[in-house]
Amino acid sequence: MNLFLNQITAIVWKDFVTELKTRELFSAMFVFALLVMLIFIFSVNLSIVKASEVGPGILWVAFLFSGTLGLNRSFVMEKENGCLMGLMLVPADRTAIYFGKLISNFVFLTIMELFILPLFMIFFNIDLLEHLGPLLLVIFLGTLGFCALGTLLSSLASNLKTREIMLPILLYPILVPIIIGVVRMTGQILAGEPLSEMMNWIGLTASFDIIYIGVSIMTIDHILEE
Amino acid sequence: MSDNPSDSAIEVRQLRKEFGVLKAVDGVSFDLKRGEFLSVFGPNGAGKTTLIKILAGLTRPSSGTARVAGYEVAEGRSEMRREIGVISHSSAVYADLTPLENLIFFGKMYGLERPKESALAVLEDVGLAARRHDRVRTFSRGMVQRLSIARAILHDPSILFLDEPFTGLDIHASNVLKEHLQTLHNKKRTILMTTHDVSCGLEMCDKVALQVMGRFAFFEDVKDIDQENFETMYFDAVRNNQFTMGIRPH
Repeated sequence: MNLFLNQITAIVWKDFVTELKTRELFSAMFVFALLVMLIFIFSVNLSIVKASEVGPGILWVAFLFSGTLGLNRSFVMEKENGCLMGLMLVPADRTAIYFGKLISNFVFLTIMELFILPLFMIFFNIDLLEHLGPLLLVIFLGTLGFCALGTLLSSLASNLKTREIMLPILLYPILVPIIIGVVRMTGQILAGEPLSEMMNWIGLTASFDIIYIGVSIMTIDHILEE
Repeated sequence: MSDNPSDSAIEVRQLRKEFGVLKAVDGVSFDLKRGEFLSVFGPNGAGKTTLIKILAGLTRPSSGTARVAGYEVAEGRSEMRREIGVISHSSAVYADLTPLENLIFFGKMYGLERPKESALAVLEDVGLAARRHDRVRTFSRGMVQRLSIARAILHDPSILFLDEPFTGLDIHASNVLKEHLQTLHNKKRTILMTTHDVSCGLEMCDKVALQVMGRFAFFEDVKDIDQENFETMYFDAVRNNQFTMGIRPH
């Protein structure tokens, strides 16, 4: 168990050191999310439509689309120079590789989201501070499910020549329950509803998070093998 | 074949790997005792890399059995992976990390008690200690190959698989690699190496195999063969393989 945790920590450490040196992942995700929001800002007339009604969808489109960029890069980095083969040769449980990559993806995406939130507040003139606690919970649940499934599918897509195309095609349809859940909950939070009003959605999103992680644990061994 | 099976580092029986109609490995059987060095020659597409991938547990055989360090390869045991080191066409090191960071990372993955100390010692062995803080991306092919060797021997494996390790190396780097392999051989490490360099392969090994179209056409002790005859046989095999593939030599 100790070795398992050390291996997960080592993968996360390695991804962080690499990102600190290259800054490829974070900058790409952040700029992309920013561009998505800017495009929507100019295409939506906020004097007609309520920001709290269109805002949740725009926010999650920015999060998920930019997150897909990060997921694509996640396992491609491992394929460069055959590093994934190096990982497959170490005496590690394949799930340690999965959890290491999942935690890295989750942390990178969460940091990017925390940078995007203040800009979202400014662009849409929405005060998120009074709803910050519930909103962070929803972002946590949504990001976890997205990364859990995305990490699994990016490992699968990394073996394909058309990986950049295949990842979103595989990912978004299966992710629909979580997307619906988090967009609905974000809308309710911005409308000032208490967390107790959205327990069904929280239960649904958390359940899918668990399902995605469970399926990943069961299948990652076969997916990582050629 | 080994007289005493428990003395074997590698035992392969009727190993086959098929990709659709293509038989990459076709009924290969051999034994390699602990401390022995086997050089496997063969034309491109003969199945040498696939054989190494199966023995390293990177791909499953279609049929047959292979035991490495006493463990059934198909079971994918982590105990077996602890016993082997692999050097392949790809370096399997991270280009944006330094050699020291790479080896500390792999040391942690192997569960070494002092990954930094082990990494520094191995970097010293392969002559990269002075460049330990430089990014791998700035390294020449030879230096990356030396780092790849360092990664493969970091956990002191008893068995090494080398897939054409001399590819792309200049004479100096080749000589350095030869010295390393000789040292490892002297330390009684079992080595299986595929190569196209006949003189180099024969010079270092105890046993020699010729793989053609997935099969071992030849498997002998190196002391029992005549180098000139073997070279002729090897070049014939390469030429015939080219005919098979539809490429006619001029």
